Amino acid sequence: MNLTRASGRLAMASVLLAGLGAISAFGQPFSANGTTTIAVTVAPEASIAITTVGNTSLTTPGGGLFVDYTGTTTFLYKIRTDKAAGVGHITLQITADFDGTGGPSVTTPPTTGDTLKYSCVVASGTACTGPVTAATSVPTNVATFGTDAHSIKAGDAGSVNWVLTNDPVYKTGSYNATATFTISNT
Amino acid sequence: MRTLAQVMIPGKGFLLPVVAMGVAFNSGAFAATATGTQTLSVNIGAAGKLAVVQPTLNLIHAGSIFASFTGTVTVQYEVRTTASTGNAVVTVNAASEFSPANGPRVAGGDLTFTCTGATIGSACTGSQIVSTSSQTSVVTVGSGVCTGSNCAGAAPNSVTVNMNLVDSPVFKTGAYSTHLTFSISSI
Repeated sequence: MNLTRASGRLAMASVLLAGLGAISAFGQPFSANGTTTIAVTVAPEASIAITTVGNTSLTTPGGGLFVDYTGTTTFLYKIRTDKAAGVGHITLQITADFDGTGGPSVTTPPTTGDTLKYSCVVASGTACTGPVTAATSVPTNVATFGTDAHSIKAGDAGSVNWVLTNDPVYKTGSYNATATFTISNT
Repeated sequence: MRTLAQVMIPGKGFLLPVVAMGVAFNSGAFAATATGTQTLSVNIGAAGKLAVVQPTLNLIHAGSIFASFTGTVTVQYEVRTTASTGNAVVTVNAASEFSPANGPRVAGGDLTFTCTGATIGSACTGSQIVSTSSQTSVVTVGSGVCTGSNCAGAAPNSVTVNMNLVDSPVFKTGAYSTHLTFSISSI
């Protein structure tokens, strides 16, 4: 046996094994420091939360008989529209008309001209031009947002101020309707 | 009885006892062996090295609207610490702010992490804020630690770093990135 050649091969094998041990199982070299790139894609998003606790009670303000009922629904919204060509909307729709019979109705008011209307206030974007007549069949505008629109991190505040006709024809009693607020954007 | 060999001395008439001495000669019998000793000494010092498994981590948004972006990084490390008095630490910092601007900001505390599953040492506890100006601890290792056969832990060791990035409405839409540097030091 050629001892010189054999020992040379053994040394080479040792070097190869040592080299393999310096590489992690996933091919990254071991050293005193290692790096990774953190990447993220931020897309348009929007959310809304009603902040009025419980129901929005429509009441008659003090003074005057058969003064229309009023009330306010408040909400917080977060929005980010695309910086290049984004738009956003907040709308509302009466998804459940006043219950019971003999009381107010959005769809078929007992008297023509009886309405549920609202005006809007928002911290950002463009509020609706009120008063707007609420509807059960279609959503109606509350606010619009343009390109690269942003609320603050905690959300921007908005509100809708309701006015319901106080028609003497309404029978006494308690009546409830459901208003659904929707925010959308691109 | 004569035990000795006798040689007749010519003319003398007496025997001269001769002690036959035989000396056995062997090839190498005169080679002396000697030994010498040399002490080999090596000072095994503390050392540490690491590797980040994911060269790039894409944080993803899952769940509710404006929920945080999340992702996981695995850091492998090999470490040796001085017996009784040594320790080691794996740290992380952001090499730079998120780029481009108008998105998430490291300086704003938008990027945080938690640590889980350290196979040797103690992983960080609770949510940690990534900084560009200082190192934040990921794993701390005690004294007398080694990595490999007959050592506690794994070979290599590893820790999972769970990244969390706030999803704020304030960020402009677009793609953003930054670079994290993990470091290990050992004594």
